[in-house]
Amino acid sequence: MLVLGHPEAAKLFSDHLTVERVKRAQRDYFLGLFAGKCDTAYAEDRLRIGLAHERVGVPPKWYLGAYTRYMRAILDRLATWLTDPTEMRLAYQSIEKLVSFDMALAMDTYIEAHLQALTRHQAAIRELSTPVIRIQDRVLLLPLIGTVDTQRAEQLMEAVLLKVVEAQAKVIIIDIAGVPVIDTKVAEHLLKTTEAVRLLGARTILSGISPMIAKTVIQLGLDISAMHTRSQLSEGLELAFDLVAESRSRKKRKRRRKERRD
Amino acid sequence: MPKGSIPILQVGSTLVVTIQTELRDTIADALQEDLLERIGKTRAGALIIDITGLEVVDTYVARIIATTGQMAKLMGTETVLVGMRREVAATIVRIGFRLTGVETALNLDEGLELAKELVRRRRRRKRD
Repeated sequence: MLVLGHPEAAKLFSDHLTVERVKRAQRDYFLGLFAGKCDTAYAEDRLRIGLAHERVGVPPKWYLGAYTRYMRAILDRLATWLTDPTEMRLAYQSIEKLVSFDMALAMDTYIEAHLQALTRHQAAIRELSTPVIRIQDRVLLLPLIGTVDTQRAEQLMEAVLLKVVEAQAKVIIIDIAGVPVIDTKVAEHLLKTTEAVRLLGARTILSGISPMIAKTVIQLGLDISAMHTRSQLSEGLELAFDLVAESRSRKKRKRRRKERRD
Repeated sequence: MPKGSIPILQVGSTLVVTIQTELRDTIADALQEDLLERIGKTRAGALIIDITGLEVVDTYVARIIATTGQMAKLMGTETVLVGMRREVAATIVRIGFRLTGVETALNLDEGLELAKELVRRRRRRKRD
């Protein structure tokens, strides 16, 4: 068989049984195609075929290529059956119409499957771009790596607020050691995030401020004094622990007073 | 809603108000007046405004909260805002409103702690 000459195709049709099954499926397919019933069930069945192709890894080019072969075979057969050229043209046009409808449906499923994959990947990237780690009971860390654009910054605020509430965090450290450049926009977003975190009742520490970033911030005339800033993550962590300990000692004092009273 | 319809509780020297209904402008105004009156009467050290129940805070309400905090401070009372939802925080920041004049805490429990701490700090400063 011609198809099995291609190594990729040979992989799909690895054994005799598969070949037989596919042949049967093809037979049913063509019988269905010429049954002349183009209802919802038919369309759904066609969409399933596209999905099956996508799942087993048949690329659209094979599907289209195979169809070209079929059409050629059909044309040859029509030529032997129908002698009148007008009749033959009409017959071929009808078949072509049916086939085009099928192809359109199949292409739709291919595209849909790809779009879904793309959406999944984007979600994964989004997730990866704002990894919030719990360092201690009430201390969170968000290491930022790579360029921060407006969309990412926007998403960053959402993620930070969500995690702060979820963990009932006291402090979140945003480490920007892995951010190559910081501009007015990014600084503005960081400030907004800091303010939103404050409104929730927690604090933000910005760590990983390299000499380069410190220079840019001052040269651009950005005022980020509303944020606690540290050059190293380790210093940021120390400050965070101090802030948590502060509120904890407040609680401890309260407990001690209560014990004394009891 | 008439004036005085949102109850203001007193816990030690701290006043606590929990806002649960959506604040229409008139209620917000009335609440501010009530709060200032109570602060004047009780000489409370701190005021806690709990907005856990608020799903939406518009600029008007945000301004009422901020100005109440600033006014209370003039009268010698620290204000702690607690329980803001993250959606509310995001919106306030996005529209660029600066909610100054109030301290913040995650929940009522921590708000009470912070209120006490603030009162203590203020007293210490007075002594020095």
